[in-house]
Amino acid sequence: MRSFRIPFKYQLLIPMVLILLAVVVFPLGYSLVISFQDFQLSKIGQQQFIGLENYINLFHNRSFWMALRNTIEFVIMAVSIEVTLGFFLALLLHNKATFLRGFFRSTLLSPMFITPIAVGLIFRFLTNSQLGVIPNLLEKINISIDFFSPKLALFSIAMIDVWQWTPFMLLLLLAGLESLPEEPIEAAQVDGAQGLKMVWYVILPLMRPIILAAIVIRMLDAFKVYEYIYAITRGGPAGATETMQYLIYRTGFIYFRAGEAAAMSYVFIFVITILVLILFFILRGEAVQE
Amino acid sequence: MNASQRKKFNAIVILVILSIYLLIVVFPYFWTIIASIKEPSAINHPLDFNFTPTLENWKAVIQAGIPRQALNSLIVGLVTVSICLVAGAPAAYAFSRYKVGGNKSRFLVLLSQMLPPATLIIPLFLLMYQVRINNSLIRVVISHLTVLLPLVTWFLIGFFDEVPRELEDAALVDGCTNWQTLLKIVIPVVRPGLGAAALFAFVLSWNDMFYALILTSVKARTLPVGIAGYWTFRGVEMGQMSAAILLAIVPMIILSFFVQRFMLRGMARGAVKG
Repeated sequence: MRSFRIPFKYQLLIPMVLILLAVVVFPLGYSLVISFQDFQLSKIGQQQFIGLENYINLFHNRSFWMALRNTIEFVIMAVSIEVTLGFFLALLLHNKATFLRGFFRSTLLSPMFITPIAVGLIFRFLTNSQLGVIPNLLEKINISIDFFSPKLALFSIAMIDVWQWTPFMLLLLLAGLESLPEEPIEAAQVDGAQGLKMVWYVILPLMRPIILAAIVIRMLDAFKVYEYIYAITRGGPAGATETMQYLIYRTGFIYFRAGEAAAMSYVFIFVITILVLILFFILRGEAVQE
Repeated sequence: MNASQRKKFNAIVILVILSIYLLIVVFPYFWTIIASIKEPSAINHPLDFNFTPTLENWKAVIQAGIPRQALNSLIVGLVTVSICLVAGAPAAYAFSRYKVGGNKSRFLVLLSQMLPPATLIIPLFLLMYQVRINNSLIRVVISHLTVLLPLVTWFLIGFFDEVPRELEDAALVDGCTNWQTLLKIVIPVVRPGLGAAALFAFVLSWNDMFYALILTSVKARTLPVGIAGYWTFRGVEMGQMSAAILLAIVPMIILSFFVQRFMLRGMARGAVKG
């Protein structure tokens, strides 16, 4: 009798697949089950099947819609500034003539390596109306800004994200610039293209797929924003900075409503997937054009 | 302006712009360092630089739970990274060498780590409760694997792509089994990649607060959860908070200098080729 052997290439995958089945796939499935139940963390063992009720209730839940809107607004604000600033800085750092290039690169990249809760706390300290250095400096020139007022709070949080994650954009785009083919750029140089013209007509079109990939990667990560809000506003004032990640945390672990939180997270995954698919079609379209 | 003057002028403009941005990046670090050596009363006057430096904040932080929390973070990071390498490297080799699942699989691996932690934390928390995984640190390791195992795998695929095929073929002709070829021939070649992936994953594990906040008991906090505990805002805590923050971020900034160059390479390949 011939014994059955798993082909080598599948043997290689066994450990990873088993772990991911246990820690990602199974929990996600379990979460789907929870989302159809009236499941309170304070009363484990008394859950009841309630069908789609958790999902239906979300439609009337104002906090939910507000958090979804805040999250999308936050992601658009933060990522658009990060990609613009990151591309600009990447161009400067790619230039081999730039003085102290290595020093600038390693220092400017540092914020992406530190824990976001520390970044949140540092900026809360810097902007504190009594203890903070920024309001105190602004006071000298008679300006008073409340960075975390209902109108400004989400923008301020987005700016903190820009401080921490523009370096990540810079890293991706710098890597992209370094991988560009040299011929088209040299050819353009021979034709007399320089400076801004070179960037706009030659480098930007070549970089397009990389820029779009960088935007997708950064957006998916920005959807997870949580620590700055935990450190500074805790969702306030009046829900102005409550994002999905924070709302799900609050619903599940402060109000103990696990069923509702699970339903929220499924809707959230659905929304993210739709947004990513839209971006993917843009990416694919670009690839076909070239 | 002639050409060489113009070149000089451009160089100066670039230098000025980069310096301004550098200031924006470095200022928060600088200010945190200042606050960590100020007396509580001096912190109430942020623009007064006439203060006597003190190490009281640092002493208080080191006598509090911070070293224990740093040790917890270190243990979680090391265990997570080891599991990621042992399970992720063979998988990355399968994707690179045998094209399992085609080119799409690379991007799928990356996407799976993009799930927002909020969506996984509820089932993970309940499952751990039901199967009685009571040890805080094991719980955090499990949660970090959900993010880092796919990420490490994705990161390593690019490094395996660069191993010359001839090397493997020669080993197979010499009678090595597939596993021997992987362990004795291929792994040594990609060692820099493994090192970079390990550092990168360690930094991310060390920096996580969300999972650790929910999954650890008060007795077994990790460092980011520990510093999040300084959220009451009085002058007394600000100095200590600053010292604790520095203990959490400085090691990672130092590690980042070693890993940046490799990340630049890894990302170029991963991001460009999707």
